[in-house]
Amino acid sequence: MSLSSKMILSLTCVGLISSGFLAGVGIWTKDKIAFNVQQEIEQAIKTVVPGTAVSEKLYEERAFAVYAGKTEDGSLVGYAVYASGSGFQDTITMMFGTDIEVKKLTRLTILKQTETPGLGANIEKEDLFLKFWEDRDIRTILTLHKPAASSPNELTPTEINTITGATISSESVLKIVNLSLEKLREKIKHGGLLGGREKDGN
Amino acid sequence: MATKTLSAEYVKGLWDENPVFRQLLGLCPTLAVTNAVINGIAMGLATTFVLLLSSLVVSLIKKVIPNQVRIASYIVIIACFVTVADLFLQAFFYPISKALGPYVPLIVVNCVILGRQEAFSSKNSVGRSMIDALGMSTGFVLALLLLSSVREILGAGTFLGIQVLGSWFKPWIIMLLPAGAFIAFGLLLGLALLIESKTQKRRA
Repeated sequence: MSLSSKMILSLTCVGLISSGFLAGVGIWTKDKIAFNVQQEIEQAIKTVVPGTAVSEKLYEERAFAVYAGKTEDGSLVGYAVYASGSGFQDTITMMFGTDIEVKKLTRLTILKQTETPGLGANIEKEDLFLKFWEDRDIRTILTLHKPAASSPNELTPTEINTITGATISSESVLKIVNLSLEKLREKIKHGGLLGGREKDGN
Repeated sequence: MATKTLSAEYVKGLWDENPVFRQLLGLCPTLAVTNAVINGIAMGLATTFVLLLSSLVVSLIKKVIPNQVRIASYIVIIACFVTVADLFLQAFFYPISKALGPYVPLIVVNCVILGRQEAFSSKNSVGRSMIDALGMSTGFVLALLLLSSVREILGAGTFLGIQVLGSWFKPWIIMLLPAGAFIAFGLLLGLALLIESKTQKRRA
């Protein structure tokens, strides 16, 4: 056998065996990975829309999705919005909940971020950032409270806290939330969501 | 090389030929993921898995792969095992997989792995290659563990997420940032060289 055919043959064999093996592992882990992602989202919905027993996806597009949080008997408790956008270093992905009228933001949770450790990464810390997001009044646009407050009582209901040394990360989260709220209202207004409020009888 | 005993083949990876502190290989993942001990350990174990299996396969097929396409074949084999490790972490250790982010796929280009295939597995028997891979992996895991411990303790006051330094301690955030990785690594490397020169003097 000539050298070049030997080369082609061995590379082809290595490629074929590797891809076959990978396909097997891919099939084996596919469901488990999908389950993990699904569970993470469900867990987040239950955190941001208190009282949720079951959730239903109402709308999805790139970097934006709306879920309905419902009780066991199917009545709507609130909306959970999945949103992502650019942060200081990379994309920040989050989930936040609103009441059914979209007047109040119930809670926010960060699903994925790679901000600066010790500074921007604190956006996922409860006592430095997330607790300041509880029960915000979203009838008007949310704004940033600067400099950083030490307790939620120092903020007006439409303000959220800044993290010292990480204004850009705090602002990015705020911007993503404000934009997503606008999108959510638009979808509700134009009936872009499946199910949702129509079922609620409003 | 073949004159070494099997135990010497294993032990050399721990200190004399430690991939991180003596060969200065695989520094990208070493510096990037060692901001927390758990990430350091996970990266070390994922690399161990890839190194062991690729050494096994490369030493098995070394005679049938023509010399001209050996590097390409090794890379395909390594990439295959890295993808397996990545999928496995995503399926069974989802939080760790998220924390390591893009660094698991990047094990493909970790030069410790390709370096061992080229320098050792392609020239030695299966058994010897496995022992070498095991030694190198242990050395790599220990180096990552050391570096991540220093960085996590000084940078956050914690070890494996458990508070070890009291509330008096103000965390040195720089240790968690890339600059801190270089500072900590430089100091540890200096220390390793100092120990080495002292022991060499004693031997002489």
